[in-house]
Amino acid sequence: MGAAVASLALSRSALAAEPADADQLARLLALERSLAAAYEAALARDAIEPALGKLLLGHEREHVRGLEQTLGRRAPAQADTPQIALDFANRRTFAHSALELERTTVDTYRDVLTTFHNDRLLQPLGSIMACGAQHEVALRRVLGEDLL
Amino acid sequence: MQPALTRRGALGGAAALTLASCGGGDPPPTSGPRAGSGAGLLSSIVALEHAAIAAWAAIGEPLRGDARRYARIIRGREIDNAERVADLVRKLGGTPPQTRTAEDYARLFPRIGDEADALHFARDLEERLVRAYLEGLRLLPDADQRRVTSQIAADQAQDLAVVHALAGGPAAPQPFVTGTL
Repeated sequence: MGAAVASLALSRSALAAEPADADQLARLLALERSLAAAYEAALARDAIEPALGKLLLGHEREHVRGLEQTLGRRAPAQADTPQIALDFANRRTFAHSALELERTTVDTYRDVLTTFHNDRLLQPLGSIMACGAQHEVALRRVLGEDLL
Repeated sequence: MQPALTRRGALGGAAALTLASCGGGDPPPTSGPRAGSGAGLLSSIVALEHAAIAAWAAIGEPLRGDARRYARIIRGREIDNAERVADLVRKLGGTPPQTRTAEDYARLFPRIGDEADALHFARDLEERLVRAYLEGLRLLPDADQRRVTSQIAADQAQDLAVVHALAGGPAAPQPFVTGTL
């Protein structure tokens, strides 16, 4: 876990030479911040089972930290508002909307990884994407859906 | 203190070794693709996927109910993955490695006595597959190759999540899914 964050941070200097990469990372950071805010709010409103909510929130915070360290001063101060409305009415509706946001985030990682320039960041970013893909399984489990 | 060698630990170590031999034992393409095209790495992944297809058949045998159903589904996904990566090798002018016989693979797998053994082997297998695709992301030179490997890496991470869940743990236990060698 620490190694992945370190890999992200170590590549900061290389990132300075690739402004397009920084823009892509800012897109990812906005989504990760949205996910962290979503799980935080869901925990506060009892819209997610506490143990799962804390686990997923902890992961999102690690992702945010890694991306912020990599971007350094280029990290945007605030996240853009996600285009997905989150529904905190109950645990089921929240799981549905969180699943959609996780899917959007994983799709964005795949998009970014295809065109990203900095080779040193590809594997750490892939490891975050893979975690997001696993979050989808965790949320489908909550919904009682097929896991795959 | 002397570390204790448990049966489960021994099984996991054996699985890692046998899977390494499955993925890396096939010769690289001898003609066609240019050096540095990614064909060699992609061929290694195809060979690993062939082993995974055979492994999931073995893993499914002691499983029951939902676990057995997921073993069948994941095996089907590995078949699709093998074909997609083999297509990338062909696009480079290479010939993807052929599958071996079921008996050849069976000799290389650890003994699977019960459901716990099966899920332990499945976890090791999926960890290795995740790692192979993430390494591919770093090393493959072409955007189309990266697009396919990133998609499959995400799918493999989900297969691993299902194995975690079937074993009774959280589907997503770690914030960074790096896989293992």
